[in-house]
Amino acid sequence: MNQIFPGLILLLQEESRYSQVLDNMKHPDLSKFLVIGALLFIIGVAGVLTRRNIIVIFMSIELILNAANLNFIAFSRYLQDTGSVNAVAGQVFTVFIIVVAAAEAAIGLGIVIALYRNRETIWVDEIDLLKW
Amino acid sequence: MTLSGWEAVFFWIFAVAALVAGLLTVLARNAVHSALFLISSLVSVAALFVLLGAEFIAGVQVLVYVGGVMVLFLFVIMLVNVGAEERGREEIFNRKPQVVASIVFSLLLALGLVYAINQGLAGLRSQDKAKLALAERNQAARQESLRTSATGTTKITKDTETVGSSLYRYGGLAFEIASVLLLVAIIGSVMLARTAKQEAAADDVDPELLTKSL
Repeated sequence: MNQIFPGLILLLQEESRYSQVLDNMKHPDLSKFLVIGALLFIIGVAGVLTRRNIIVIFMSIELILNAANLNFIAFSRYLQDTGSVNAVAGQVFTVFIIVVAAAEAAIGLGIVIALYRNRETIWVDEIDLLKW
Repeated sequence: MTLSGWEAVFFWIFAVAALVAGLLTVLARNAVHSALFLISSLVSVAALFVLLGAEFIAGVQVLVYVGGVMVLFLFVIMLVNVGAEERGREEIFNRKPQVVASIVFSLLLALGLVYAINQGLAGLRSQDKAKLALAERNQAARQESLRTSATGTTKITKDTETVGSSLYRYGGLAFEIASVLLLVAIIGSVMLARTAKQEAAADDVDPELLTKSL
């Protein structure tokens, strides 16, 4: 129980633990950035799974890629602080992710335009030519 | 690596802004609103990059994502949007069981990821305790060693310099491949977005014949 809900238990216990949480909030570290990245990723996944508009699905994919970028940059900063040899590798990789995202958006939106010209729809559940 | 003082305040502002804007991207009815919320989310994440000391990537993020990719998105929305969403007749989400299953899956994923991150980082921090303490002590000296700007009021970080040299030293081949990928993407999207008439002109076929076969 204590393992699963650490925040909840901390809030319920005595004031010293409460001030510890407050202190944690005042000094955000690597874990806070990773949690923000994870939540952005999950919002993107939920968007891909629930929306019907193919353009909004593409935007959710951009959100997912961006969450991955945030993780890379956060770990890059952590490695810089711990004195790793090639600490900016994460930032270099992020540049490549942005390049691939731009290429993916260009191709994907080209496909959307071609699709709209032929089928007159942007709803993914109506794009079912390959369904049997 | 810990932020403090104003940095912490700005961290919470931009973190909450990124999450709320991301959520509204998924929930907005109008696709143009979605695009605008996505832009604010991306700018907030760029601000988080600045807080993490990655000024170059933050600049690239704003220039490429907001200035390039999102403008492309808005153009396509204007070309394709049939206005069905604004009229409010069309359902913007999938069927209900699918949405419920997705949300349950997402919440489970969120709980699992947050738990795993906290557990994993506790281990990582105890492993690197000595190095982190050393870094904390050297931080002031490192700040001192940076070059001062011409006005004498601010320090200039070496971030862009180190990213550039690392990019060409370790990622030279990948850099060239990325440029070829972009070229292929440009040609591919031009090919895909042609009209039947333009296609016929390029292939030297009678346009009447092509439209009839479609």
